[in-house]
Amino acid sequence: MDTRKTLWGRITEGLNRLGFSPLGLLLIAILFVLPLIPPFNQEHILRWLIMGAFLAAQSVAFDFTGGYINVVNFGFAAILGLGAYTAAILSNTSPVLAVQPGLSPWLTIWIGALASGLVGLGLGMLTLRLRGIFAAVMAWFVGIALMGIVRNWTAVTRGPLGMHPTTLLETTSNRPYFYIILIMMLVVYIVLKQIVRSHYGLAFRAIGQNFDAARASGINPTYYRVFNFTLSAFFAGWLGGFYAFYFGALTPQTLMHTSKTVEVLAIAYIGGRGSLWGGIAIAFPFVFFIEFLRSNFTDLPGLHLIIYGVLMIVVMIYYPAGFVGLYEWAKAKLIGIFAKG
Amino acid sequence: MLELKNVDAGYDFLQILWGVSLHVGQGEFVALIGPNGAGKTTTLRTIAGLLTPKSGEILFNGQPIGGKPAYAISRMGISYVSESLNLFTNMSVRENLLLGAYAVNDAQKEQESLEFVYGLFPRLKEREKQLAGTMSGGERKMLAIARGLMSNPQLLLVDEPSLGLAPHLTHAVFQALLELRDRGVTILLVEQNVNTTLEITDRAYILEHGRIVMEGPSREMKANEHVRNAYLGI
Amino acid sequence: MTQSSFLNSVLIILRTKLPAVIVLGFTLLLAVAIGVETGPAQLINSIVSGGILALLAVGLALVFGVMNIPHFAHGESFMVGAYVGYFTFTPLNNYLKENPNQLLSAVAPILAVVAAAVAGAVMGAVIERLIFAPLRHRTRVGWVMNTFLLTVGLAYILINGTTLLLGPNFRGIPRYYSVPPIEILNIRIAADRIFAFVIAIITIVAMTFFMQKTRTGRAIRAVAQDEIGAELVGINLDFIHTLTFSLATAMAAMAGAALLYMFQAYPTVGLKPLYLSWYVVMLVGLGNVYGAIVGGFIVALLQTATQQFIGIAWEDVVPTIVMILVLLIVPSGIFGSEVKGIQEQ
Repeated sequence: MDTRKTLWGRITEGLNRLGFSPLGLLLIAILFVLPLIPPFNQEHILRWLIMGAFLAAQSVAFDFTGGYINVVNFGFAAILGLGAYTAAILSNTSPVLAVQPGLSPWLTIWIGALASGLVGLGLGMLTLRLRGIFAAVMAWFVGIALMGIVRNWTAVTRGPLGMHPTTLLETTSNRPYFYIILIMMLVVYIVLKQIVRSHYGLAFRAIGQNFDAARASGINPTYYRVFNFTLSAFFAGWLGGFYAFYFGALTPQTLMHTSKTVEVLAIAYIGGRGSLWGGIAIAFPFVFFIEFLRSNFTDLPGLHLIIYGVLMIVVMIYYPAGFVGLYEWAKAKLIGIFAKG
Repeated sequence: MLELKNVDAGYDFLQILWGVSLHVGQGEFVALIGPNGAGKTTTLRTIAGLLTPKSGEILFNGQPIGGKPAYAISRMGISYVSESLNLFTNMSVRENLLLGAYAVNDAQKEQESLEFVYGLFPRLKEREKQLAGTMSGGERKMLAIARGLMSNPQLLLVDEPSLGLAPHLTHAVFQALLELRDRGVTILLVEQNVNTTLEITDRAYILEHGRIVMEGPSREMKANEHVRNAYLGI
Repeated sequence: MTQSSFLNSVLIILRTKLPAVIVLGFTLLLAVAIGVETGPAQLINSIVSGGILALLAVGLALVFGVMNIPHFAHGESFMVGAYVGYFTFTPLNNYLKENPNQLLSAVAPILAVVAAAVAGAVMGAVIERLIFAPLRHRTRVGWVMNTFLLTVGLAYILINGTTLLLGPNFRGIPRYYSVPPIEILNIRIAADRIFAFVIAIITIVAMTFFMQKTRTGRAIRAVAQDEIGAELVGINLDFIHTLTFSLATAMAAMAGAALLYMFQAYPTVGLKPLYLSWYVVMLVGLGNVYGAIVGGFIVALLQTATQQFIGIAWEDVVPTIVMILVLLIVPSGIFGSEVKGIQEQ
């Protein structure tokens, strides 16, 4: 049966070009519909969905760097935070801060993204000659410095006291925000997936494997590496803007701290490095599990981080392919069964 | 003393040795020769425990050693002088030698071994405090062999000692090996320099494409047609 | 030595070790500046901190050099040491309040540090056997990055496990030694500071002696240089790896206990020591153990100088700038890196 000719085949192929499998599309469709179905239409459950989508989107942007050019951007959370703060400050109208530019949040989200993108550009250039661990440590130090700057520039950021930017929408309902973040997540995924499928992805992987060999085969590693960092950072800042105008409270130590990067890293790795979608699949169940734990076992703080840590270790040692690997294995097994039957 | 029975060995994705069988008797000086890539180093690495055989047996004094970790095999009395030497480049000659006797753990024996190897390689004593990494190629080979001797091994595996050496140094190295043989050390030598090797050894095996294709007393091998054509350029 | 050959040696040192010379010179200038501006007290503080930081950095350098692991949970070893120190010293202290005893008062802090060392050693051994040994036997591919991430996971387990089990509260002691500050050369130094410094120095000296003069210490250095060579001379790699990690953890734990009077025990207390010891190790060169000793003092002085002359707010920014410069100009550190295999991805 020539799959290209059948309708199903054509649909699958079209989806594939976007980066989705039929199953993936189904799950995304379910996500769109979920807020209309109890119990998912409750506000606090919607909040969980939002957090899930937010984490998922972050892990996609993170994996773009970590899973392809093989550099762990350990300052990811700080870059996201920078975007958040930039967006928040530029839209500020309250006299609590020294400046009140009062620009529209819908605009400042993009400016925040640009600011983060610039930092990503700088970081990409800074870490050019650095391999693996050195680059990660450099990103780490830069992240700490960014957090320090935000914390200390109190006139503009109110430092550890935190900022309270205006919200994006007038409504108090979570539902529209969920759709916004869901669409943002999909945009990040589709854009990065397209890039990764093109020769850019090949170049990324080549650089990730062996920087010098890549250069020797005619790829310009500088360009691709910097491009990768910039784009990943751009999206991080973009997401940061969402964070600012949805969660409405920014503090440097919660938003930009290394531990936040670790959460994203854990999701991306357990999901499956170099897959982009692995983190999406993992983020929602994880967030739900964690929030469920949190609401039922309030006296067990940080339990979710312990679970992240243990899972991460177990995955790294025993199952480095992550969830994506599990999925591929299960899919192959199922196809094998059906083929025989 | 050493016996390989039908050993298959290689790396994860690539099998190098196919059913290799050989033996080295006590006090013998045996050569393993063959073209590049034949698997000679793989053979030695497998004996030394750096590789685990995929099948077959390796017996040392009747004990199976296949699959044992390299450090255990070293402690059983097999010293491997590798092609890349694996010297501790940032340590002095003396420290390298002392480490050679690590498993011995007896200060007196250590001292005796040290004197023995200094007698064999006076150059090393001269450069006792020099860092191993700063020595010339020939000196480093001598150091590697000396370090291998510090544990008073029953069996010495030497991998291409003449590689990259000037002829007079090669001569010195082979002299040293002969002296060792005369003192009762059993040696399995892998070499590319077939001419001299067949001169000084008792027996030889020829390994081609991971298989033993010929074996016999070195004198006979030297006269053999195939050997002369392929390896002696005659 | 004649005049010209002395000059020659100096020139050679200058040329090859220029970054080190610059940094050392700069640090000395800073030390003088600190001493002049603020008096000797700050300088003494920096030296004490430097000693402790050196202790931490040596452990980190060892783990880098011998095991090729970028250890991100090193601060948690410090944290565990702080807790063990607290839980050892506090009951003793309470007992001493009722039953004063000169000898016990003098020895109690030492017991606290020793207990921390033992706890650290055990914890290190357990972690190595449970987490790194299995991975090492499985595959070495991507080892550096994978172990780095493993230690990240480990750090989070340890921090949050501690919060879960012991709560986020700070557990502190007012002081180890209830004696008035001791006067040395006209400077009054708190007894606890001297205690911490002495602990650090004794441990570092003992460590150096162990590494240079003992058979096992030599074996550890051998594994750091050439693992295969070490195996071939009969060194049991598993044992050396476990021992090294155990020692590094024990030293960090001792640092945590020794500084209890200053830092208190709480779950995230290790984050700053982690960051600072990484700073040292990257500055001097990964895996360079003796460089780490000197580096501890350099970084401590740099930190103090930053606080004094630029302002405490920029405490995090300046090291980053310094680190950026170092990584760009001398990526292998000012004293040179001695780590095998860390150059690959």
